[in-house]
Amino acid sequence: MTLEAVRRTATSEPTARSRPRQSWFNRNRSAIVRHAVINFFMVIILLPLAWVLMMSVKSLPDAMRGDFWPRRFDFTHYSFVFERIATLPVNLFNSIYVTAGTVLITTVCAVLAGYALVHLRPRGAGLVVTALLVSLYFPVRVVSIISIYETQKFLGLINSTSGLILPYITLQLAISILIMRSMFQLVPHEMIEAAKIDGAGAWRTLWMVGLPMVRNGLVVIFIVNFVAAWGEYLLCLTLVDDEARRTMPVVLAAAQGGQGQWAWPNLAAVYVIVVTPGILAFTFAQKLFFKGLMEGALKG
Amino acid sequence: MTLLRQDIGVWLFLLPAVVFFVGYQVWPIIRVLWMSFTNYQFLTNEPANWVWFDNYIQAFEDPLLWASLGRAALFTIMFLPGTIVLPLLLAILVDRVTNRRLATLYRVVLLIPAVIPSTLIFVLWKWMYNYQAGPINHFLVDTLGLFTLQNAPQWLGGTPLTLPSIAVMEVWWGLGYHTIFFLAGLAAIPRDLPEAARIDGASEWQVFWHVTRPRLAPIMMILVVLRFGTAMAVIDEYLIFGGFNRASPTYTWTIFMYDQAFKTGLWRQGYAAAIGMIGAVAMMFVMVLLIRIFRPKG
Repeated sequence: MTLEAVRRTATSEPTARSRPRQSWFNRNRSAIVRHAVINFFMVIILLPLAWVLMMSVKSLPDAMRGDFWPRRFDFTHYSFVFERIATLPVNLFNSIYVTAGTVLITTVCAVLAGYALVHLRPRGAGLVVTALLVSLYFPVRVVSIISIYETQKFLGLINSTSGLILPYITLQLAISILIMRSMFQLVPHEMIEAAKIDGAGAWRTLWMVGLPMVRNGLVVIFIVNFVAAWGEYLLCLTLVDDEARRTMPVVLAAAQGGQGQWAWPNLAAVYVIVVTPGILAFTFAQKLFFKGLMEGALKG
Repeated sequence: MTLLRQDIGVWLFLLPAVVFFVGYQVWPIIRVLWMSFTNYQFLTNEPANWVWFDNYIQAFEDPLLWASLGRAALFTIMFLPGTIVLPLLLAILVDRVTNRRLATLYRVVLLIPAVIPSTLIFVLWKWMYNYQAGPINHFLVDTLGLFTLQNAPQWLGGTPLTLPSIAVMEVWWGLGYHTIFFLAGLAAIPRDLPEAARIDGASEWQVFWHVTRPRLAPIMMILVVLRFGTAMAVIDEYLIFGGFNRASPTYTWTIFMYDQAFKTGLWRQGYAAAIGMIGAVAMMFVMVLLIRIFRPKG
Protein backbone atom coordinates (compact mmCIF):
# COMPACT_ATOMS: atom_id res chain seq x y z
CA MET A 1 0.00 0.00 0.00
CA THR A 2 1.64 3.18 -1.00
CA LEU A 3 0.96 6.23 1.06
CA GLU A 4 0.30 8.19 -2.12
CA ALA A 5 -2.57 5.88 -3.07
CA VAL A 6 -4.12 6.22 0.36
CA ARG A 7 -3.82 9.99 0.36
CA ARG A 8 -5.43 10.07 -3.03
CA THR A 9 -8.59 8.21 -1.95
CA ALA A 10 -8.82 10.31 1.15
CA THR A 11 -8.72 13.55 -0.77
CA SER A 12 -9.99 12.76 -4.25
CA GLU A 13 -12.48 15.31 -5.52
CA PRO A 14 -15.88 14.35 -6.88
CA THR A 15 -15.61 13.84 -10.58
CA ALA A 16 -17.93 16.21 -12.36
CA ARG A 17 -19.63 14.72 -15.38
CA SER A 18 -22.06 16.20 -17.79
CA ARG A 19 -25.12 14.03 -18.13
CA PRO A 20 -28.45 14.55 -19.83
CA ARG A 21 -30.97 16.34 -17.63
CA GLN A 22 -32.79 14.00 -15.30
CA SER A 23 -34.59 14.40 -12.03
CA TRP A 24 -32.31 14.85 -9.02
CA PHE A 25 -33.30 11.44 -7.67
CA ASN A 26 -32.59 9.59 -10.91
CA ARG A 27 -29.27 11.32 -11.36
CA ASN A 28 -28.14 10.39 -7.87
CA ARG A 29 -29.90 7.06 -7.54
CA SER A 30 -26.79 4.92 -7.15
CA ALA A 31 -25.24 7.36 -4.67
CA ILE A 32 -28.45 7.41 -2.61
CA VAL A 33 -28.62 3.61 -2.49
CA ARG A 34 -24.92 3.50 -1.64
CA HIS A 35 -25.24 5.91 1.25
CA ALA A 36 -28.37 4.17 2.48
CA VAL A 37 -26.57 0.82 2.66
CA ILE A 38 -23.49 2.34 4.29
CA ASN A 39 -25.61 4.14 6.88
CA PHE A 40 -27.54 0.97 7.58
CA PHE A 41 -24.24 -0.68 8.56
CA MET A 42 -23.21 2.40 10.56
CA VAL A 43 -26.42 2.13 12.57
CA ILE A 44 -25.80 -1.59 13.14
CA ILE A 45 -22.33 -0.76 14.45
CA LEU A 46 -23.48 2.06 16.72
CA LEU A 47 -26.77 0.60 17.99
CA PRO A 48 -25.39 -1.67 20.75
CA LEU A 49 -23.20 1.17 22.00
CA ALA A 50 -26.11 3.61 21.94
CA TRP A 51 -28.19 1.07 23.85
CA VAL A 52 -25.66 0.77 26.69
CA LEU A 53 -25.20 4.55 26.80
CA MET A 54 -28.97 5.05 27.12
CA MET A 55 -29.19 2.31 29.72
CA SER A 56 -26.65 4.12 31.89
CA VAL A 57 -28.86 7.20 32.17
CA LYS A 58 -32.24 5.50 32.63
CA SER A 59 -34.18 5.59 35.85
CA LEU A 60 -34.57 2.16 37.46
CA PRO A 61 -38.21 1.59 36.40
CA ASP A 62 -37.36 2.62 32.83
CA ALA A 63 -34.51 0.11 32.82
CA MET A 64 -37.00 -2.66 33.62
CA ARG A 65 -39.34 -1.55 30.83
CA GLY A 66 -36.71 -1.95 28.16
CA ASP A 67 -37.75 0.90 25.86
CA PHE A 68 -34.85 2.54 24.07
CA TRP A 69 -35.75 6.12 25.08
CA PRO A 70 -36.33 6.51 28.82
CA ARG A 71 -39.34 8.37 30.20
CA ARG A 72 -37.20 9.84 32.97
CA PHE A 73 -33.44 10.38 32.83
CA ASP A 74 -31.32 9.59 35.86
CA PHE A 75 -27.64 10.53 35.82
CA THR A 76 -26.89 9.49 39.39
CA HIS A 77 -25.72 5.98 38.46
CA TYR A 78 -22.28 7.29 37.61
CA SER A 79 -21.67 8.66 41.10
CA PHE A 80 -23.48 5.71 42.68
CA VAL A 81 -21.11 3.10 41.23
CA PHE A 82 -18.07 4.91 42.59
CA GLU A 83 -19.54 5.54 46.04
CA ARG A 84 -21.34 2.28 46.69
CA ILE A 85 -19.41 -0.47 44.91
CA ALA A 86 -16.41 -0.85 47.17
CA THR A 87 -14.19 -2.82 44.79
CA LEU A 88 -14.86 -0.69 41.72
CA PRO A 89 -12.18 2.03 42.21
CA VAL A 90 -9.70 -0.73 43.09
CA ASN A 91 -10.47 -2.75 39.95
CA LEU A 92 -10.37 0.36 37.84
CA PHE A 93 -7.00 1.31 39.29
CA ASN A 94 -5.71 -2.23 38.64
CA SER A 95 -6.71 -1.92 35.00
CA ILE A 96 -5.06 1.49 34.60
CA TYR A 97 -1.90 0.34 36.32
CA VAL A 98 -1.51 -2.91 34.39
CA THR A 99 -2.38 -1.29 31.07
CA ALA A 100 0.01 1.64 31.54
CA GLY A 101 2.86 -0.70 32.46
CA THR A 102 2.17 -2.99 29.52
CA VAL A 103 1.86 -0.22 26.94
CA LEU A 104 5.02 1.51 28.14
CA ILE A 105 7.26 -1.56 28.20
CA THR A 106 5.93 -3.05 24.96
CA THR A 107 6.40 0.24 23.13
CA VAL A 108 10.02 0.53 24.28
CA CYS A 109 10.73 -3.10 23.33
CA ALA A 110 9.07 -2.72 19.92
CA VAL A 111 10.83 0.54 19.03
CA LEU A 112 14.27 -0.76 19.98
CA ALA A 113 13.73 -4.06 18.17
CA GLY A 114 12.19 -2.52 15.07
CA TYR A 115 15.02 -0.02 14.75
CA ALA A 116 17.69 -2.66 15.23
CA LEU A 117 16.13 -5.09 12.75
CA VAL A 118 16.06 -2.50 9.96
CA HIS A 119 19.01 -0.18 10.51
CA LEU A 120 21.55 -2.14 12.56
CA ARG A 121 20.96 -5.44 10.77
CA PRO A 122 22.33 -7.90 13.31
CA ARG A 123 23.12 -11.44 12.32
CA GLY A 124 20.07 -13.59 13.04
CA ALA A 125 17.60 -10.81 12.24
CA GLY A 126 15.88 -13.02 9.66
CA LEU A 127 15.35 -15.72 12.24
CA VAL A 128 13.80 -13.22 14.67
CA VAL A 129 11.39 -11.94 12.03
CA THR A 130 10.39 -15.48 11.03
CA ALA A 131 9.74 -16.43 14.65
CA LEU A 132 7.60 -13.32 15.16
CA LEU A 133 5.57 -14.07 12.02
CA VAL A 134 4.99 -17.72 12.97
CA SER A 135 3.83 -16.68 16.45
CA LEU A 136 1.05 -14.64 14.83
CA TYR A 137 -0.44 -17.75 13.29
CA PHE A 138 0.11 -20.25 16.11
CA PRO A 139 -2.54 -20.16 18.89
CA VAL A 140 0.15 -19.25 21.44
CA ARG A 141 -2.20 -17.43 23.80
CA VAL A 142 -4.40 -20.48 24.36
CA VAL A 143 -1.78 -23.23 24.49
CA SER A 144 0.80 -21.34 26.57
CA ILE A 145 -1.57 -20.66 29.47
CA ILE A 146 -0.68 -23.96 31.19
CA SER A 147 3.01 -23.15 31.18
CA ILE A 148 2.58 -19.47 32.02
CA TYR A 149 0.69 -20.50 35.15
CA GLU A 150 3.72 -22.59 36.11
CA THR A 151 6.15 -19.74 35.35
CA GLN A 152 4.15 -17.24 37.41
CA LYS A 153 3.93 -19.72 40.29
CA PHE A 154 7.70 -20.18 40.11
CA LEU A 155 8.19 -16.39 40.20
CA GLY A 156 5.70 -16.03 43.06
CA LEU A 157 3.40 -13.94 40.91
CA ILE A 158 0.16 -15.91 41.23
CA ASN A 159 -2.58 -13.61 42.52
CA SER A 160 -0.41 -10.56 41.87
CA THR A 161 -1.75 -7.69 39.81
CA SER A 162 1.72 -6.42 38.87
CA GLY A 163 2.69 -9.91 37.76
CA LEU A 164 0.11 -9.71 34.99
CA ILE A 165 2.21 -7.12 33.20
CA LEU A 166 4.85 -9.72 32.23
CA PRO A 167 2.59 -11.97 30.11
CA TYR A 168 0.55 -8.96 28.95
CA ILE A 169 3.65 -7.48 27.29
CA THR A 170 3.82 -10.39 24.87
CA LEU A 171 0.11 -10.27 23.93
CA GLN A 172 0.82 -7.87 21.05
CA LEU A 173 4.61 -7.74 21.17
CA ALA A 174 5.18 -9.63 17.92
CA ILE A 175 2.77 -7.48 15.91
CA SER A 176 4.14 -4.31 17.53
CA ILE A 177 7.71 -5.17 16.52
CA LEU A 178 6.61 -6.00 12.98
CA ILE A 179 4.72 -2.69 12.75
CA MET A 180 7.75 -0.74 13.99
CA ARG A 181 9.93 -2.68 11.58
CA SER A 182 7.87 -1.61 8.57
CA MET A 183 7.79 1.95 9.94
CA PHE A 184 11.58 2.09 10.19
CA GLN A 185 11.84 0.69 6.67
CA LEU A 186 10.31 3.98 5.53
CA VAL A 187 13.18 5.90 7.13
CA PRO A 188 15.93 6.24 4.52
CA HIS A 189 19.06 4.40 5.49
CA GLU A 190 21.13 7.40 4.33
CA MET A 191 19.58 9.55 7.05
CA ILE A 192 20.69 7.13 9.72
CA GLU A 193 24.15 6.92 8.14
CA ALA A 194 24.40 10.70 7.97
CA ALA A 195 23.61 11.00 11.66
CA LYS A 196 26.29 8.42 12.40
CA ILE A 197 28.86 10.31 10.34
CA ASP A 198 27.96 13.43 12.29
CA GLY A 199 29.10 11.53 15.34
CA ALA A 200 25.81 10.42 16.86
CA GLY A 201 25.81 6.97 18.45
CA ALA A 202 23.17 4.36 17.69
CA TRP A 203 21.01 5.36 20.67
CA ARG A 204 21.20 9.07 19.90
CA THR A 205 20.41 8.44 16.24
CA LEU A 206 17.33 6.48 17.19
CA TRP A 207 16.15 9.18 19.61
CA MET A 208 16.86 12.26 17.49
CA VAL A 209 16.38 10.99 13.92
CA GLY A 210 14.41 7.75 13.99
CA LEU A 211 11.68 8.34 16.55
CA PRO A 212 10.20 11.54 15.09
CA MET A 213 9.79 9.75 11.76
CA VAL A 214 7.84 6.80 13.13
CA ARG A 215 5.37 8.87 15.15
CA ASN A 216 2.31 7.46 13.34
CA GLY A 217 3.45 3.92 13.99
CA LEU A 218 3.85 4.74 17.69
CA VAL A 219 0.20 5.83 17.78
CA VAL A 220 -0.82 2.50 16.22
CA ILE A 221 1.10 0.27 18.62
CA PHE A 222 0.00 2.46 21.52
CA ILE A 223 -3.66 1.87 20.66
CA VAL A 224 -3.16 -1.82 19.77
CA ASN A 225 -1.47 -2.54 23.09
CA PHE A 226 -3.91 -0.42 25.07
CA VAL A 227 -6.82 -2.38 23.61
CA ALA A 228 -5.14 -5.73 24.30
CA ALA A 229 -4.17 -5.02 27.91
CA TRP A 230 -7.28 -3.05 28.88
CA GLY A 231 -9.56 -5.91 27.83
CA GLU A 232 -7.47 -8.99 28.66
CA TYR A 233 -9.56 -11.75 30.24
CA LEU A 234 -8.01 -15.23 30.07
CA LEU A 235 -4.73 -14.55 31.91
CA CYS A 236 -6.27 -12.39 34.60
CA LEU A 237 -9.04 -14.93 35.20
CA THR A 238 -6.53 -17.78 35.47
CA LEU A 239 -3.67 -16.14 37.36
CA VAL A 240 -5.53 -13.87 39.82
CA ASP A 241 -8.15 -15.17 42.25
CA ASP A 242 -8.97 -12.22 44.50
CA GLU A 243 -11.75 -10.02 43.21
CA ALA A 244 -9.92 -6.94 44.55
CA ARG A 245 -6.78 -7.76 42.56
CA ARG A 246 -8.53 -8.42 39.28
CA THR A 247 -8.92 -6.00 36.42
CA MET A 248 -12.16 -4.36 35.38
CA PRO A 249 -13.14 -6.62 32.41
CA VAL A 250 -13.01 -9.81 34.50
CA VAL A 251 -15.21 -8.24 37.16
CA LEU A 252 -17.65 -6.92 34.57
CA ALA A 253 -17.85 -10.29 32.81
CA ALA A 254 -18.73 -11.99 36.10
CA ALA A 255 -21.32 -9.40 37.17
CA GLN A 256 -24.89 -10.61 36.80
CA GLY A 257 -27.26 -7.82 35.86
CA GLY A 258 -30.24 -7.52 38.16
CA GLN A 259 -31.02 -5.85 41.44
CA GLY A 260 -28.99 -3.91 43.99
CA GLN A 261 -25.54 -2.61 43.23
CA TRP A 262 -25.44 -4.41 39.89
CA ALA A 263 -28.77 -3.06 38.67
CA TRP A 264 -28.69 -2.67 34.89
CA PRO A 265 -28.13 1.11 34.78
CA ASN A 266 -25.24 0.77 37.25
CA LEU A 267 -23.65 -1.95 35.18
CA ALA A 268 -24.11 0.16 32.08
CA ALA A 269 -22.56 3.19 33.80
CA VAL A 270 -19.48 1.16 34.74
CA TYR A 271 -19.33 -0.08 31.16
CA VAL A 272 -19.42 3.44 29.74
CA ILE A 273 -16.69 4.55 32.16
CA VAL A 274 -14.46 1.65 31.10
CA VAL A 275 -15.05 1.87 27.36
CA THR A 276 -14.93 5.64 26.85
CA PRO A 277 -11.18 6.34 27.33
CA GLY A 278 -10.24 4.07 24.42
CA ILE A 279 -12.83 5.48 22.04
CA LEU A 280 -11.90 9.07 22.98
CA ALA A 281 -8.18 8.45 22.58
CA PHE A 282 -8.81 6.87 19.20
CA THR A 283 -11.08 9.67 18.00
CA PHE A 284 -8.50 12.31 18.88
CA ALA A 285 -5.62 10.36 17.37
CA GLN A 286 -7.55 8.98 14.39
CA LYS A 287 -5.65 10.94 11.76
CA LEU A 288 -2.26 9.73 12.96
CA PHE A 289 -3.73 6.28 13.60
CA PHE A 290 -5.00 5.89 10.02
CA LYS A 291 -1.73 7.17 8.58
CA GLY A 292 0.24 4.74 10.72
CA LEU A 293 -2.13 1.91 9.86
CA MET A 294 -1.68 2.53 6.15
CA GLU A 295 2.09 2.96 6.38
CA GLY A 296 2.87 0.00 8.54
CA ALA A 297 0.17 -2.15 9.98
CA LEU A 298 -1.69 -3.19 6.86
CA LYS A 299 1.33 -3.95 4.76
CA GLY A 300 0.89 -7.64 5.44
CA MET B 1 36.73 -9.51 17.60
CA THR B 2 35.43 -6.02 16.87
CA LEU B 3 32.77 -7.62 14.68
CA LEU B 4 31.61 -9.68 17.64
CA ARG B 5 31.56 -6.64 19.91
CA GLN B 6 29.50 -4.79 17.32
CA ASP B 7 27.04 -7.66 17.21
CA ILE B 8 26.66 -7.58 20.98
CA GLY B 9 25.97 -3.85 20.88
CA VAL B 10 23.27 -4.38 18.28
CA TRP B 11 21.68 -7.25 20.17
CA LEU B 12 21.34 -4.94 23.21
CA PHE B 13 18.59 -3.23 21.23
CA LEU B 14 16.86 -6.55 20.61
CA LEU B 15 17.41 -7.91 24.11
CA PRO B 16 14.27 -6.58 25.90
CA ALA B 17 11.96 -7.76 23.15
CA VAL B 18 13.69 -11.13 22.84
CA VAL B 19 13.63 -11.75 26.60
CA PHE B 20 9.86 -11.27 26.80
CA PHE B 21 9.18 -13.04 23.51
CA VAL B 22 11.21 -16.10 24.48
CA GLY B 23 10.09 -16.11 28.12
CA TYR B 24 6.37 -15.81 27.51
CA GLN B 25 5.85 -17.13 23.96
CA VAL B 26 8.59 -19.52 22.84
CA TRP B 27 9.41 -21.18 26.15
CA PRO B 28 5.76 -21.85 27.13
CA ILE B 29 5.15 -23.64 23.82
CA ILE B 30 8.27 -25.79 24.24
CA ARG B 31 7.33 -26.46 27.85
CA VAL B 32 3.76 -27.45 26.94
CA LEU B 33 5.09 -29.73 24.21
CA TRP B 34 7.29 -31.42 26.82
CA MET B 35 4.41 -31.65 29.32
CA SER B 36 2.26 -33.38 26.73
CA PHE B 37 4.62 -36.38 26.77
CA THR B 38 4.59 -36.66 30.59
CA ASN B 39 2.14 -37.15 33.43
CA TYR B 40 3.03 -33.67 34.66
CA GLN B 41 0.93 -32.14 37.44
CA PHE B 42 1.16 -28.68 39.03
CA LEU B 43 0.67 -29.68 42.63
CA THR B 44 2.73 -32.79 43.22
CA ASN B 45 6.23 -32.92 44.57
CA GLU B 46 7.10 -36.03 42.58
CA PRO B 47 8.89 -35.38 39.31
CA ALA B 48 6.89 -35.92 36.14
CA ASN B 49 7.37 -39.21 34.32
CA TRP B 50 7.94 -39.49 30.60
CA VAL B 51 4.93 -41.40 29.25
CA TRP B 52 5.60 -41.16 25.53
CA PHE B 53 2.37 -40.95 23.57
CA ASP B 54 -0.01 -42.07 26.34
CA ASN B 55 -1.72 -38.68 26.59
CA TYR B 56 -2.14 -38.47 22.84
CA ILE B 57 -3.48 -42.03 22.55
CA GLN B 58 -5.94 -41.39 25.36
CA ALA B 59 -7.03 -38.12 23.74
CA PHE B 60 -7.57 -39.72 20.32
CA GLU B 61 -9.66 -42.48 21.94
CA ASP B 62 -11.82 -39.89 23.72
CA PRO B 63 -14.91 -39.05 21.61
CA LEU B 64 -15.00 -35.68 23.39
CA LEU B 65 -11.79 -34.62 21.61
CA TRP B 66 -13.31 -35.23 18.19
CA ALA B 67 -16.55 -33.55 19.21
CA SER B 68 -14.65 -30.54 20.57
CA LEU B 69 -12.57 -30.17 17.40
CA GLY B 70 -15.74 -30.50 15.33
CA ARG B 71 -17.45 -27.77 17.33
CA ALA B 72 -14.54 -25.38 16.77
CA ALA B 73 -14.69 -26.14 13.04
CA LEU B 74 -18.47 -25.63 13.02
CA PHE B 75 -18.07 -22.20 14.59
CA THR B 76 -15.37 -21.30 12.07
CA ILE B 77 -17.68 -22.22 9.17
CA MET B 78 -20.46 -20.06 10.66
CA PHE B 79 -18.16 -17.10 11.20
CA LEU B 80 -15.65 -16.97 8.35
CA PRO B 81 -17.83 -16.24 5.26
CA GLY B 82 -19.70 -13.37 6.91
CA THR B 83 -16.58 -11.73 8.24
CA ILE B 84 -15.01 -11.68 4.75
CA VAL B 85 -17.96 -10.95 2.44
CA LEU B 86 -19.78 -8.22 4.39
CA PRO B 87 -16.68 -6.02 4.91
CA LEU B 88 -15.73 -6.48 1.25
CA LEU B 89 -19.16 -5.25 0.16
CA LEU B 90 -19.02 -2.35 2.60
CA ALA B 91 -15.50 -1.40 1.54
CA ILE B 92 -16.48 -1.23 -2.13
CA LEU B 93 -19.34 1.11 -1.19
CA VAL B 94 -17.31 3.32 1.17
CA ASP B 95 -14.45 3.49 -1.34
CA ARG B 96 -16.76 5.36 -3.75
CA VAL B 97 -17.74 8.02 -1.24
CA THR B 98 -16.17 11.15 -2.66
CA ASN B 99 -17.18 13.63 0.02
CA ARG B 100 -14.04 13.96 2.11
CA ARG B 101 -15.77 14.67 5.44
CA LEU B 102 -18.23 11.80 5.05
CA ALA B 103 -15.46 9.42 4.05
CA THR B 104 -13.53 10.29 7.22
CA LEU B 105 -16.65 10.03 9.39
CA TYR B 106 -17.46 6.59 7.99
CA ARG B 107 -13.92 5.40 8.64
CA VAL B 108 -13.99 6.63 12.24
CA VAL B 109 -17.31 4.89 12.97
CA LEU B 110 -16.03 1.73 11.28
CA LEU B 111 -13.04 1.54 13.58
CA ILE B 112 -14.88 2.24 16.85
CA PRO B 113 -15.64 -1.45 17.58
CA ALA B 114 -12.00 -2.26 16.82
CA VAL B 115 -10.79 -0.03 19.65
CA ILE B 116 -13.18 -1.57 22.17
CA PRO B 117 -11.24 -4.26 24.05
CA SER B 118 -12.35 -7.85 23.47
CA THR B 119 -13.90 -8.61 26.85
CA LEU B 120 -15.92 -5.40 26.77
CA ILE B 121 -17.37 -6.49 23.42
CA PHE B 122 -18.36 -9.84 24.94
CA VAL B 123 -19.88 -8.20 28.02
CA LEU B 124 -21.89 -5.83 25.85
CA TRP B 125 -23.26 -8.67 23.72
CA LYS B 126 -23.93 -10.80 26.78
CA TRP B 127 -26.37 -8.06 27.74
CA MET B 128 -27.69 -7.68 24.20
CA TYR B 129 -28.55 -11.40 24.16
CA ASN B 130 -29.83 -11.46 27.77
CA TYR B 131 -33.00 -13.57 27.97
CA GLN B 132 -35.08 -11.17 30.04
CA ALA B 133 -33.52 -7.73 29.90
CA GLY B 134 -31.69 -7.86 26.59
CA PRO B 135 -32.80 -5.48 23.84
CA ILE B 136 -32.86 -8.25 21.22
CA ASN B 137 -35.49 -10.29 23.06
CA HIS B 138 -37.26 -7.08 24.02
CA PHE B 139 -37.53 -6.28 20.32
CA LEU B 140 -38.75 -9.78 19.44
CA VAL B 141 -41.24 -10.04 22.31
CA ASP B 142 -42.59 -6.54 22.99
CA THR B 143 -42.08 -4.76 19.68
CA LEU B 144 -42.68 -7.47 17.12
CA GLY B 145 -44.71 -9.83 19.30
CA LEU B 146 -43.11 -12.87 17.68
CA PHE B 147 -42.50 -14.60 21.00
CA THR B 148 -43.80 -14.45 24.54
CA LEU B 149 -41.64 -14.12 27.65
CA GLN B 150 -41.97 -17.89 28.07
CA ASN B 151 -40.74 -19.05 24.68
CA ALA B 152 -38.34 -16.25 23.69
CA PRO B 153 -35.07 -17.55 22.24
CA GLN B 154 -32.34 -18.50 24.68
CA TRP B 155 -29.34 -17.14 22.79
CA LEU B 156 -26.45 -17.95 25.09
CA GLY B 157 -25.51 -20.42 27.78
CA GLY B 158 -24.77 -23.53 25.75
CA THR B 159 -28.02 -23.75 23.77
CA PRO B 160 -27.93 -24.68 20.04
CA LEU B 161 -28.21 -20.93 19.30
CA THR B 162 -25.01 -20.10 21.18
CA LEU B 163 -22.51 -20.64 18.36
CA PRO B 164 -24.49 -18.67 15.73
CA SER B 165 -25.03 -15.90 18.30
CA ILE B 166 -21.30 -15.68 18.98
CA ALA B 167 -20.61 -15.74 15.23
CA VAL B 168 -22.95 -12.77 14.70
CA MET B 169 -21.17 -10.89 17.49
CA GLU B 170 -17.76 -11.63 15.99
CA VAL B 171 -18.84 -10.51 12.52
CA TRP B 172 -20.14 -7.27 14.06
CA TRP B 173 -16.86 -6.81 15.92
CA GLY B 174 -14.66 -7.32 12.87
CA LEU B 175 -16.92 -5.56 10.37
CA GLY B 176 -15.30 -2.15 10.58
CA TYR B 177 -11.71 -3.29 10.96
CA HIS B 178 -11.91 -5.66 8.00
CA THR B 179 -13.58 -2.96 5.93
CA ILE B 180 -10.63 -0.66 6.63
CA PHE B 181 -8.36 -3.53 5.58
CA PHE B 182 -10.13 -3.87 2.24
CA LEU B 183 -10.27 -0.09 1.81
CA ALA B 184 -6.48 0.00 2.00
CA GLY B 185 -6.37 -2.68 -0.69
CA LEU B 186 -8.84 -0.82 -2.90
CA ALA B 187 -6.85 2.41 -2.52
CA ALA B 188 -3.85 0.67 -4.08
CA ILE B 189 -5.74 -0.17 -7.30
CA PRO B 190 -5.07 2.50 -9.94
CA ARG B 191 -8.29 4.43 -10.58
CA ASP B 192 -8.08 4.21 -14.36
CA LEU B 193 -8.23 0.39 -14.38
CA PRO B 194 -11.92 0.04 -13.42
CA GLU B 195 -12.71 3.21 -15.40
CA ALA B 196 -11.20 1.72 -18.55
CA ALA B 197 -13.15 -1.50 -18.04
CA ARG B 198 -16.39 0.46 -17.67
CA ILE B 199 -15.73 2.42 -20.85
CA ASP B 200 -15.18 -0.90 -22.61
CA GLY B 201 -18.71 -1.80 -21.55
CA ALA B 202 -18.05 -4.08 -18.58
CA SER B 203 -20.86 -4.37 -16.03
CA GLU B 204 -20.18 -3.45 -12.39
CA TRP B 205 -20.10 -7.14 -11.52
CA GLN B 206 -17.56 -7.85 -14.28
CA VAL B 207 -15.43 -4.94 -13.08
CA PHE B 208 -15.48 -6.35 -9.57
CA TRP B 209 -14.77 -9.92 -10.63
CA HIS B 210 -12.06 -9.31 -13.24
CA VAL B 211 -10.43 -6.07 -12.06
CA THR B 212 -10.95 -5.59 -8.33
CA ARG B 213 -11.10 -9.13 -6.96
CA PRO B 214 -7.74 -10.40 -8.29
CA ARG B 215 -6.01 -7.34 -6.84
CA LEU B 216 -7.60 -7.87 -3.44
CA ALA B 217 -6.58 -11.53 -3.37
CA PRO B 218 -3.45 -11.05 -1.21
CA ILE B 219 -5.40 -9.13 1.45
CA MET B 220 -8.19 -11.68 1.24
CA MET B 221 -5.71 -14.48 1.87
CA ILE B 222 -4.25 -12.79 4.94
CA LEU B 223 -7.72 -12.16 6.34
CA VAL B 224 -8.98 -15.70 5.70
CA VAL B 225 -5.92 -17.31 7.30
CA LEU B 226 -5.77 -14.93 10.28
CA ARG B 227 -9.49 -15.16 11.01
CA PHE B 228 -9.47 -18.93 10.58
CA GLY B 229 -6.82 -18.89 13.30
CA THR B 230 -8.81 -16.68 15.65
CA ALA B 231 -12.04 -18.61 15.07
CA MET B 232 -10.52 -22.05 15.72
CA ALA B 233 -8.78 -20.85 18.89
CA VAL B 234 -11.63 -18.89 20.48
CA ILE B 235 -11.59 -19.32 24.25
CA ASP B 236 -12.66 -16.16 26.16
CA GLU B 237 -16.07 -16.06 24.47
CA TYR B 238 -16.74 -19.70 25.30
CA LEU B 239 -15.66 -19.17 28.92
CA ILE B 240 -18.00 -16.17 29.25
CA PHE B 241 -20.97 -17.48 27.24
CA GLY B 242 -20.78 -21.23 27.64
CA GLY B 243 -19.16 -22.56 30.78
CA PHE B 244 -17.88 -26.09 31.28
CA ASN B 245 -20.89 -28.21 30.36
CA ARG B 246 -19.42 -30.94 28.16
CA ALA B 247 -22.56 -31.20 26.03
CA SER B 248 -22.50 -27.49 25.21
CA PRO B 249 -21.61 -26.53 21.62
CA THR B 250 -19.10 -24.10 23.13
CA TYR B 251 -17.11 -26.98 24.69
CA THR B 252 -14.40 -26.89 22.01
CA TRP B 253 -10.81 -28.11 22.20
CA THR B 254 -9.71 -24.88 23.87
CA ILE B 255 -12.28 -25.26 26.67
CA PHE B 256 -11.51 -29.00 26.89
CA MET B 257 -7.84 -28.10 27.44
CA TYR B 258 -8.63 -25.37 29.98
CA ASP B 259 -11.08 -27.65 31.80
CA GLN B 260 -8.48 -30.40 32.14
CA ALA B 261 -5.74 -27.98 33.19
CA PHE B 262 -7.57 -25.77 35.68
CA LYS B 263 -11.10 -26.90 36.42
CA THR B 264 -11.74 -30.62 36.83
CA GLY B 265 -9.78 -30.90 40.06
CA LEU B 266 -7.85 -33.84 38.66
CA TRP B 267 -5.04 -31.44 37.69
CA ARG B 268 -4.03 -33.46 34.66
CA GLN B 269 -1.88 -30.80 33.04
CA GLY B 270 0.00 -33.35 30.93
CA TYR B 271 -3.25 -34.51 29.33
CA ALA B 272 -4.40 -30.90 28.89
CA ALA B 273 -1.10 -30.09 27.18
CA ALA B 274 -1.63 -32.96 24.73
CA ILE B 275 -5.14 -31.70 23.89
CA GLY B 276 -3.75 -28.20 23.34
CA MET B 277 -1.01 -29.45 21.04
CA ILE B 278 -3.45 -31.58 19.02
CA GLY B 279 -5.77 -28.62 18.54
CA ALA B 280 -2.93 -26.26 17.63
CA VAL B 281 -1.29 -28.65 15.16
CA ALA B 282 -4.62 -29.50 13.52
CA MET B 283 -5.20 -25.76 13.09
CA MET B 284 -1.78 -25.09 11.62
CA PHE B 285 -2.29 -27.95 9.18
CA VAL B 286 -5.50 -26.43 7.81
CA MET B 287 -3.87 -22.98 7.72
CA VAL B 288 -1.10 -24.22 5.46
CA LEU B 289 -3.78 -25.76 3.22
CA LEU B 290 -5.66 -22.45 3.15
CA ILE B 291 -2.51 -20.55 2.22
CA ARG B 292 -1.94 -22.95 -0.66
CA ILE B 293 -5.54 -22.63 -1.86
CA PHE B 294 -5.82 -18.86 -1.59
CA ARG B 295 -2.31 -17.97 -2.70
CA PRO B 296 -2.56 -15.53 -5.60
CA LYS B 297 -1.68 -17.26 -8.83
CA GLY B 298 1.21 -16.15 -10.93
